[in-house]
Amino acid sequence: MNRIGVLLVWGGISALGAAAFGVLALSRGETINAAWLLTAAVCTYAVGYRFYSRFLASSVFGLDDRRATPAERFNNGRDFVPTNRWVLYGHHFAAIAGAGPLVGPVLAAQFGFLPGTLWLVIGVVLGGAVQDFTILFCSLRRDGKSLGQMAKEEINQSAGITGMLAVLFIMIILLAVLALIVVNALKASPWGLFTITCTIPIALLMGWWMKRWRPGKVGEASSVGAVLLLGALVAGGWVAAQPQLAPVFTHSATALTWMMVAYGFVASVLPVWMLLCPRDYLSTFLKITTIVVLALAILVILPPLKMPALTPFARLGEGPVFAGKLFPFAFITIACGAISGFHALVASGTTPKMIARESDARLIGYGGMLMESFVGVMAMIAACTLDPGVYFAMNTTPAGLAQASQVLSQAGFVVTPDVMHQLATQMGEQTLIARSGGAPSLAVGMAQIFAGVTSALGGRTLTALWYHFAIMFEALFILTTIDTGTRVGRFMLQEIVGHVWPRFGETSWYPSVLASSALIVAGWGYFLYQGVVDPLGGINSLWPLFGISNQLLAAVALCVGTTILIKMGRARFAWVTLTPLAWLVIVTMTAGWQKVFSPDPRLGFLAHAASLAGSSNPDAARLIFNDRLNTFVALLFMTVVAVLIVTSLREWWLVLSRRKPALVHEAPFVESAYATGD
Amino acid sequence: MRRETERETGKGKGETWVRRALRAARRVLGAPDYDAYLEHCRVAGHEPGMSEREYVAQFFEAKGKGLRCC
Repeated sequence: MNRIGVLLVWGGISALGAAAFGVLALSRGETINAAWLLTAAVCTYAVGYRFYSRFLASSVFGLDDRRATPAERFNNGRDFVPTNRWVLYGHHFAAIAGAGPLVGPVLAAQFGFLPGTLWLVIGVVLGGAVQDFTILFCSLRRDGKSLGQMAKEEINQSAGITGMLAVLFIMIILLAVLALIVVNALKASPWGLFTITCTIPIALLMGWWMKRWRPGKVGEASSVGAVLLLGALVAGGWVAAQPQLAPVFTHSATALTWMMVAYGFVASVLPVWMLLCPRDYLSTFLKITTIVVLALAILVILPPLKMPALTPFARLGEGPVFAGKLFPFAFITIACGAISGFHALVASGTTPKMIARESDARLIGYGGMLMESFVGVMAMIAACTLDPGVYFAMNTTPAGLAQASQVLSQAGFVVTPDVMHQLATQMGEQTLIARSGGAPSLAVGMAQIFAGVTSALGGRTLTALWYHFAIMFEALFILTTIDTGTRVGRFMLQEIVGHVWPRFGETSWYPSVLASSALIVAGWGYFLYQGVVDPLGGINSLWPLFGISNQLLAAVALCVGTTILIKMGRARFAWVTLTPLAWLVIVTMTAGWQKVFSPDPRLGFLAHAASLAGSSNPDAARLIFNDRLNTFVALLFMTVVAVLIVTSLREWWLVLSRRKPALVHEAPFVESAYATGD
Repeated sequence: MRRETERETGKGKGETWVRRALRAARRVLGAPDYDAYLEHCRVAGHEPGMSEREYVAQFFEAKGKGLRCC
């Protein structure tokens, strides 16, 4: 295409995106079609990828296809394998996309569809995708080293240890909040619990199939597993309708908490091929398929958004789903999908060991994150297609709903008990009230979208089946993250303790395996339990803590990236990482400060503890202890990151003022065989 | 000259598109690929150090140390 043609195409895409944003921004209460949200997002991604990622690749990083990648230099046919970039794109996407981009936007919908969507789209182009691409590039130039190793080498030893501890603490909060989402989705839901319980024997069968019976035949085992899973889904409806069987699979949130804790421990100590690997294959298979089908379904029916662009809670704070104003809480509620520190662990893990050419890092690092943001936009659409009254009734605890009732009724966000009962019956559930956590409301939204497609195709709507399919889809990959997270946390704990007691560091020594698994599970299990039993806790306390910790991990990654850019002599381009870093520090420190010191008991941990002092509530002492523990955790995260930022600032100053040589720890240049053949 | 990604080795030549798509899907899922290991050993000029069972066992063990994001 000639230059004028290129200009016309990109000018047209930019104008279309700007027009879509204009429609969204200028809406004043009228119903907006999801097509405008999709158009604004896709046009922004296209422009960001074409121009900004290209600038990063060529001017900032100087990607060089003549330089052999770790996959080429250390090719061993196992973990270091040069892989086709589109295949690796799918592999990387499957590793970074979990429950976060689905649940975060659903929760942030309490502010309306506009703030969350803007953060998803702008945040990813200027922040999240930049972080992923930067860390992938840095690891690629360092033989696929991890984020902690790079922090240790490029900043200093204490930065590496600080980073490792930060990851361990963040993982504990992450696992607790993910487990809480599953517990809230499955409480008093015999259909859902039966289906999820069936995934355990199915995974065991798959493990035996691909390890013992037909080694390596993952495709066969996954296909059989998927068929059995669909069978379990259908059978779940039958079980829930049987008066004798349904009570066996109907449990309270507290009972489910203990089941989750037991499951997490067993999954961590069992051989990896038995439960973890098969579940991972099954969830990856289901995740990719469902996301593609959801995207197609949204494109086919282009549903109208019933949630307004901005709700009163954007201005007032005091939202019933979680407390706090639009700034800073919209920006920590949506982490994955806009910017997520956890991605830095994946981008410095498996992916850099499989990249065939340096230039492929642009598609995989930057492009992979854009796709995750698109998943977040789809989740936002699914949540905003719900009637606002239904959305708030589902996502709010009875205590929160009572406090926000006046604002809700003034805004017209009301729903009658009859409507909620009718909806629950339609979804095959006993109740959908106070199903906080985001997963059930996303499932209702997805079920209505899927049912819309099946109706349009002339089939039965099968809404209840779609609802439980969506719950199974979400719970399955959350459980996969819990399996892998508990196991990785166990390895990290063994490594840390191994420095002072070498025997404990042996990952195959069974007493160490049992003790470290128990400690990690007890850590996230405690936070899960307090989230379940505290009437103002749960998602209201844990999700912001998770958001803060995840974004602070992103700040750690961006500190490492900025340090490397400065040492590479690219200080004039350091703004590409410094800009999102500065934003994250402002947002997370403000949110952390408010969560600890706000005088509002719904928001501030210390104010909540003070409000309970002298209370006749028999649980007051325990709730006060939990508030103090949450305060300690929030302050710990903030301190750890403040230390790392100060350490980085000192390093940058020393290098830029030439008081210290700019030593980068890049692997030496080796010419690529691929490049010479081109 | 070593060329070992799917496209460069020409492994796909002569195969139907269905087989190629299945191979790609296996890689996306992160499944073990013993054929790729054998191909690597052939190109690198050494005998395979592991049987298929050993390769699969090691592959799964390494997979258990990988992270899945939230």
